[in-house]
Amino acid sequence: MTKPADPARIAPPTQPTATATHCPYCALQCGMSLTPLEGGEAPVEVTGRDFPTNRGGLCRKGWTAAELLQHPERITEPLVRDADGALRPATWDEALERVANELRRIQAEHGKDAVGIFGGGGLTNEKAYLLGKFARVALGTSRIDYNGRFCMSSAAAAGNRAFGIDRGLPFPLTDVDTADTILMLGSNVAETMPPFVQHLAGARAAGGLVVVDPRRSATAQLTDDGAGTHLAPAPHTDLVLLLGLAHVVINDGLLDSRYLAERTEGLESVIRSVAPWWPERVQATTGVPADLIRSTARRLAESARTGSCYILTGRGIEQHADGTDTVTAAINLALLLGLPGSPRGGYGTLTGQGNGQGGREHGQKADQLPGYRKITDPDARAHMARVWGVPEASIPGPGLPAVELLRTLGTDDGVRALLVHGANVVVSAPDVSAVRDGLRRLDLLVVSDFFLSETAREADVVLPVLQWAEEEGTMTNLEGRVLRRRRAVEAPEGARSELWIMNRLAELLDAPSAFPTEPEVVFEELRSASRGGLADYSGVSYELLDTGAEVYWPYPAGSSGTPRLFAERFAHDDGRARLVAVRAATPSWSPSRPAPEEFHLATGRLLEHYQSGAQTRRVAALSTAQPEPRLQLHPAAAARLRVADKAWVRVTRLGERATQDAAPSSSGSAAAGREVLCRVELTLDIRPDTVFLPFHFPGLAAANQVTESRTDPISGMPEFKTTRVLVQPADFPPAGDPDADLICASQHEGRSS
Amino acid sequence: MTFIPDHAGPERGSAPERIVVVGFGPVAARFVEELRPAVVAGAAQLTIVGEEEQAAYNRVLVADLGVGRTSLASMQLADAHELAADGVHVVLGARVQRIDRSRRNVHLADGTAFPYDRLVLATGARAAIPNLTGLNPDPQHPVLPDGVTALRDLADAERLAEAVRGRKRVVVLGGGVLGLEAALAASEEGASVTVVHHGERPLGRQIDAAGGGTLSSILRHQGLCLARNARATGIATGPDGAFRALLLDDGTAVEGDLLVLACGARPRKELAEGAGLAVGHGVLVDHRLGALHTEHVFAIGDCAEVRCADHLCAACERSSGPSGLIAPGWRQADWLAASFRARLLGEPAPGPLPEERPGVILLKARGVNLALAGGVQADPWDAEAWEADAAAGRAPLEVSLWADAAHGRYVKMCTRDGVLEGFVALGMPRAAAELTLLFGSGAELPADRSVILRLDGPESSLGRPGTAAGPESTLCRCAGVSRGTVQEAVVGGCSTVEEVSKATRAGTGCGGCKDSVRELIEQHFAVVAA
Repeated sequence: MTKPADPARIAPPTQPTATATHCPYCALQCGMSLTPLEGGEAPVEVTGRDFPTNRGGLCRKGWTAAELLQHPERITEPLVRDADGALRPATWDEALERVANELRRIQAEHGKDAVGIFGGGGLTNEKAYLLGKFARVALGTSRIDYNGRFCMSSAAAAGNRAFGIDRGLPFPLTDVDTADTILMLGSNVAETMPPFVQHLAGARAAGGLVVVDPRRSATAQLTDDGAGTHLAPAPHTDLVLLLGLAHVVINDGLLDSRYLAERTEGLESVIRSVAPWWPERVQATTGVPADLIRSTARRLAESARTGSCYILTGRGIEQHADGTDTVTAAINLALLLGLPGSPRGGYGTLTGQGNGQGGREHGQKADQLPGYRKITDPDARAHMARVWGVPEASIPGPGLPAVELLRTLGTDDGVRALLVHGANVVVSAPDVSAVRDGLRRLDLLVVSDFFLSETAREADVVLPVLQWAEEEGTMTNLEGRVLRRRRAVEAPEGARSELWIMNRLAELLDAPSAFPTEPEVVFEELRSASRGGLADYSGVSYELLDTGAEVYWPYPAGSSGTPRLFAERFAHDDGRARLVAVRAATPSWSPSRPAPEEFHLATGRLLEHYQSGAQTRRVAALSTAQPEPRLQLHPAAAARLRVADKAWVRVTRLGERATQDAAPSSSGSAAAGREVLCRVELTLDIRPDTVFLPFHFPGLAAANQVTESRTDPISGMPEFKTTRVLVQPADFPPAGDPDADLICASQHEGRSS
Repeated sequence: MTFIPDHAGPERGSAPERIVVVGFGPVAARFVEELRPAVVAGAAQLTIVGEEEQAAYNRVLVADLGVGRTSLASMQLADAHELAADGVHVVLGARVQRIDRSRRNVHLADGTAFPYDRLVLATGARAAIPNLTGLNPDPQHPVLPDGVTALRDLADAERLAEAVRGRKRVVVLGGGVLGLEAALAASEEGASVTVVHHGERPLGRQIDAAGGGTLSSILRHQGLCLARNARATGIATGPDGAFRALLLDDGTAVEGDLLVLACGARPRKELAEGAGLAVGHGVLVDHRLGALHTEHVFAIGDCAEVRCADHLCAACERSSGPSGLIAPGWRQADWLAASFRARLLGEPAPGPLPEERPGVILLKARGVNLALAGGVQADPWDAEAWEADAAAGRAPLEVSLWADAAHGRYVKMCTRDGVLEGFVALGMPRAAAELTLLFGSGAELPADRSVILRLDGPESSLGRPGTAAGPESTLCRCAGVSRGTVQEAVVGGCSTVEEVSKATRAGTGCGGCKDSVRELIEQHFAVVAA
């Protein structure tokens, strides 16, 4: 058996020249240079590189990213769980053979769909593509989905519904620089992608940054001193606020009638749907003063007519069980003002994960084939069958979206073996206790990661993979711009690329078709796979990208790409955008007076941490700055609870319904095990009826212990932003709780510096 | 003659249930919208009969339409063609003359009859016409002289529009919400307006003395003339028969070109009454919105009065008849449609219809911000009331006040156990919005009530006053650089922002702190130079 050459083993260039690449973290994909460094903690020095999205700026996460490359906790050899239940080192051959044998056995006994793949929005396009192919061709399973379901799916569903296509920003980010009004809904870029804030400077100078957030977030504070307006609706009332803004635009005759007539369908039904939401009624639901609603709508309209106006959405309004409808309401507002496709404005969603855009285009989604094709579309299936050289009938149909997929773990008809790539579901999925129970019911859990993440700790086999600076590939940033990720350092002995792992497994499973290990070869296949699809990359090559060209998809062969979508037409067959009427429930009296300990819980992010924190919690500077999650609480609420700043509290989910999916292990009290222990941080920046908890932390401090697995009916997006919880003072640390050590350890770390 | 027993069940094999809705206002539109799935599924055959030529529009905005602030197209709540395409039978411009309950038929004035299995009355309300000399006294079919109008439908809006366009003198009779909203809108759009009202102050039945006083002065400041303590007795008309002046019982007259009657609304119950249904203020319905002592007739919205047959029902005892507000009507429409869908489509049945609480009055006006709800008459220093509460074993009613009449600001919060029983907020929009939410949720107010007042303070709109920034404080959030670190860099020789950024990474993220860095550099060199 001859193994293909491992690309990671090929020595990088020897002379100490800087490698131009991009940050490993968020979708802004800041340009950075990596210069080899002798004898430092990190093998390379990170510097900001002038690139349109970051203009040389980086945040703390980016500055310190290289510290993980030679981190002492890095896994550098495969681990397998032995008979005693402990993870022990193994050779690659042993680990992969065990995986392949188990996969064969499980599929033989329980069918193809008994094996699932859980991917990630941080994986390169090449990995995302090959993972989808591996699922459909090598495993023949329909059960593949990814963590992007937890972030982008609502915006994607709404974008597809309205425009017929889903590219986060349908224009280059620098277009926003000239805006005099920007409406940002549920996005906290000042924490999540700080260099983005540079692009808000124009709107702030014009006094036109409007931030909608129940919290006075760092981004909301950018509106201070006349730079704009902060609208703070009560939690989960964004949809009503948007309907109210549309109501004013329509009733005050501020809509762009010509644009609506020429380029859209569905205006009349939207007019009727917003008619019941006059500003005072919106005020009664949202707590946003009616006059502020009117003046905001007028400002937007004025700017759309005479200046430059953008509407941008983020997870705050999307991560809801009605997230798709809320994004649709934002898009409707943009369409009423004639923004999408206009040279002086537009609508966009700010993709979160590093390759959250590319990751949702190339076949990691349960319902999708490469090129953003539908897996149910016969033409798409025939095309992919040709590219892959397999019979069309062998390509499985649609699988299950992430939350549902995780719900089936270890159940009779569900997934019994799961391969996890670039995700840490034990921290990031909703209702993590149920997810962990599911993982423990599996026959086989294989996790590819470079650290022993909380999910990897549950695994039967852990496969060590490469980090960003050790690999080649492409990423597609929040603008739909395709970027090159470049190798700057040699990977540790023992770590392998995921492409190599899939190649080996495919061979062991006697899979048809090819599983190349060279990223560029995979990309060439991705090009032909995407040809003719919505996300067409067929005109893109490494050679083109290496010239520094600005490459925006769709980029069909022979074209020069599409920096701005919708200038002439939308992607529906008739070229028109769809206004889709959405409705908010008639507000009702709350049935009973809430308990004094009752709050709305919103989860979210801190500047210092990325996603599940598996990486950033291991960077000393970041974990020192934010060693533990603090529950943001208003002082007036704290006085009522009689808790002081930094006091320990217990957060439990309220009124947990006995749902059909309740895990069998949760006996006794319905909320057993579903609580968070953390300390409070008193702040005036939050409403007295709301608490906020960052979700980057594991174990007892995991915010997703208490989030619900209720999902949006259209997108499958979980409800992350408004869980009703009880907050009660806690005696801490409780004796003998193993998870408590984790918190205490991080506590200690925090104090020792 | 065929006799059809009134108690015959609806089960008729698979034939669709025949549902007739009388009235096509906002509440009926909502009900029809919510019932569409059953029509589309073929489980219901739906007929809706409206008296106006228009399908439902948002009546709440009639005053806005009357002053030219919106258009009819923007106010539409339903589209007859779209409904028809779904299979709904829509009849516009038709008046239902009577209901034949024994045969279960609805008869129109033109002789057409529609059979029903279930009948939903959503006939709404009509403007109350006061008993004034010179006005037609027949309340069912008022014929108003030229220059006199109510403010309820499109024709009324057009009469107001004409007066506003001509910058005429408008007299508004009635100091309630509708009157004030119309008066303010007309005044802002250029008419000269006098509001004639009972009692010392407008909104006299809802607001307390100090709040009402503050409101009066705000209204005058907005350019309205107020005729208080006024009892109108009649109108004077010119030789053309058109309105000239409103006559008051003190012998004075308020002259004007248009009289707007804003004296409340009366439920339209006569159709129900004629069909032998039980009526009070409105058509009496139980907690399932069924007309009392019937199985096939329902009523929702302004025409319905929830008052069940159980004389001991506590919820009904608390009720004070139809509210005249739109939100309760929409809730009823949602609920009734859901209960119909449950029966017709097998959807889960809705939970019990929640009991309505007193609504929040939010004045729809551009220059005046008023929110008002519940009981607000209590006096903050009323020892007798405390004793009464104590004797009754109740928590005391506590009253918090903020009055700044000179600047048109007034907030009163009446709470029991920290929960609002009533409030007034004038000129404090953020406090008003927050109190509205708290009144709705029944959540406890912050013990420090000034938290609410401070929402409208300067720190909310201008940002927090900065706390004294020590060397420990973070200067650059993106890169996590303290003020002290930057100061050290400057002392160490960095003299430009770029040099500081290179040395410390401050300013290398969003760049938002560059001004602070520059300030520190300038401070340092100013000190050095001195």
